[in-house]
Amino acid sequence: MRATLSLIHREFSAYFYSPIAYVVIAVFLLVTGYLFSLSLLQLTALGPKGISYPMQLIVNDVAFWLVFLFIPPLLTMRSFAEERSTGTLEMLLTAPLRDWQVVMAKFLACYAFYVLMWLPTLLYLPVLLDWEWWTTRCGIDPWTVVATYLGLALAGAMFLSLGMFVSSLVRSQIIAALVALFLSLIFIVAGIWRPDLDASGLAYRILFYFTVPLHFERNFGRGVVDTRQLVLYISVAVLCLFLTIRSLESRRWR
Amino acid sequence: MIHVSRLTKFYGDYPAVQDVTFDVGAGQVVGFLGPNGAGKSTTMRILAGYLTATSGSATIAGHDVVWDSLEVRRRIGYMPESCPLYHEMRITEYLHFRAGIKGLYGAKRRQRIDYVLKRCWLEDVRRQIIGTLSKGYRQRVGLADALLAAPPVLILDEPTAGLDPTQIRSTRELIRELGREHTILLSTHILSEVEMTCDHAIIIHRGRVAAQGTLSELKDRASAGAGLVAAFDGQIDDTALASLEGVTAVQKESVDGIVRVRLKSDDVASLTPRLCNLAAAKGWKVREIRPERPTLEDLFVQITGRENA
Repeated sequence: MRATLSLIHREFSAYFYSPIAYVVIAVFLLVTGYLFSLSLLQLTALGPKGISYPMQLIVNDVAFWLVFLFIPPLLTMRSFAEERSTGTLEMLLTAPLRDWQVVMAKFLACYAFYVLMWLPTLLYLPVLLDWEWWTTRCGIDPWTVVATYLGLALAGAMFLSLGMFVSSLVRSQIIAALVALFLSLIFIVAGIWRPDLDASGLAYRILFYFTVPLHFERNFGRGVVDTRQLVLYISVAVLCLFLTIRSLESRRWR
Repeated sequence: MIHVSRLTKFYGDYPAVQDVTFDVGAGQVVGFLGPNGAGKSTTMRILAGYLTATSGSATIAGHDVVWDSLEVRRRIGYMPESCPLYHEMRITEYLHFRAGIKGLYGAKRRQRIDYVLKRCWLEDVRRQIIGTLSKGYRQRVGLADALLAAPPVLILDEPTAGLDPTQIRSTRELIRELGREHTILLSTHILSEVEMTCDHAIIIHRGRVAAQGTLSELKDRASAGAGLVAAFDGQIDDTALASLEGVTAVQKESVDGIVRVRLKSDDVASLTPRLCNLAAAKGWKVREIRPERPTLEDLFVQITGRENA
């Protein structure tokens, strides 16, 4: 266990050895900050223009999903591809660690960075929720926000594990990022390119099964936690982690 | 300590290692010798648990390298060829991390890191970023990492490749010192290195073990072609030489009035006095008489040359 912690620690600090971490956090905060200010305007707008849920605008915006599409591949592209191209994978795989420990350590480090990236957005919440600090009560129902963060946490795990799996297959970081981007696009594209679909039509119902932005638009953003989506995120994440372990293992047999 | 039996590894259709069998006893320093591409690195990677053999088995300290890989990895210090490291870390950070994943913590960790830093002459550069180090220092960091957990077995893949002569000398010295505490298997394609650091050698060629044994055994094997080299001023009568008892072949060449003959014989020791007597009787002016000792290099050339032909 402590060996795994050592590896998590190294993997996590490795993000800060390169400029990627800073660029990712900066871009992410810029976009969410912009959306936060938009949300404020909408929440305080008079008439029929406003929005009814505090996080709704942030997770429904195309700009947010564009950023969200690019961030996980950028975070995971290094994980195995870099180690393979520099040869350090040999050092790692001959250390007394099991393959699943290596994969889990890398995933948790990556996930920790993802969480770190989201932490500053908690600062928006008191304003979004109309929080009165002297009574510690929220003016707006906080559970929609909790549901949104739950969805973001699990969707993030799905995209990160997808990226890690791709990274374990290839030697080049660029290819790892591009392929992961392409695969993530399957889950996001219908949210960015919004066809004017009839929400009761067959196409929409099929797209809704796996299109993450639609999940946030219809469910998480409104405080609805639908187990179908949770199962999708968790099972894709577990499958990808499992495949990553297998892909690492198969390296030894070649 | 290391027991390898009938190890075979195919890369696709290409057999990198075929039917390799050898044993390394506890406390031995064994040189794993072979031309480039002979299968040294592949064998070592299999032993270190990075690759799996196509067939055959290997055990280290009684643990199978496939089925009990983790136990094996706890007992070996492995330094891969070209010594890959995380270039963005400092030496102490790197060693701290490696000690962590090898299961060393707290005071033990600090103490081992200090020990290996001292042992590998890295104390002056301990705060340096690995990417800024020269090749020689990086090799030492790799060696320090291999030593961290005080493993009974060290597997070093070309530990002196790419070093300058001073560094090669100090690395060899270090390996000799380490040989007193660890069982070492080190690969190289430099013959003199084996002669200087090892007491056993395994010669591998085209994925097969071509010869193995202690250095003196191997030299004996090479001594099939042993003999004397003698040089004389002026002319000599080589029929007299050929008729000398025990001489099996005579090679003669003359350069600048000096005649140099190479006598092949199975019993060099008794040939020398007889040759002296003959020279004295004939009045030849002797310049030198020396036994021609077979070197490991001769054996190596014999083995690798024979199969190339």
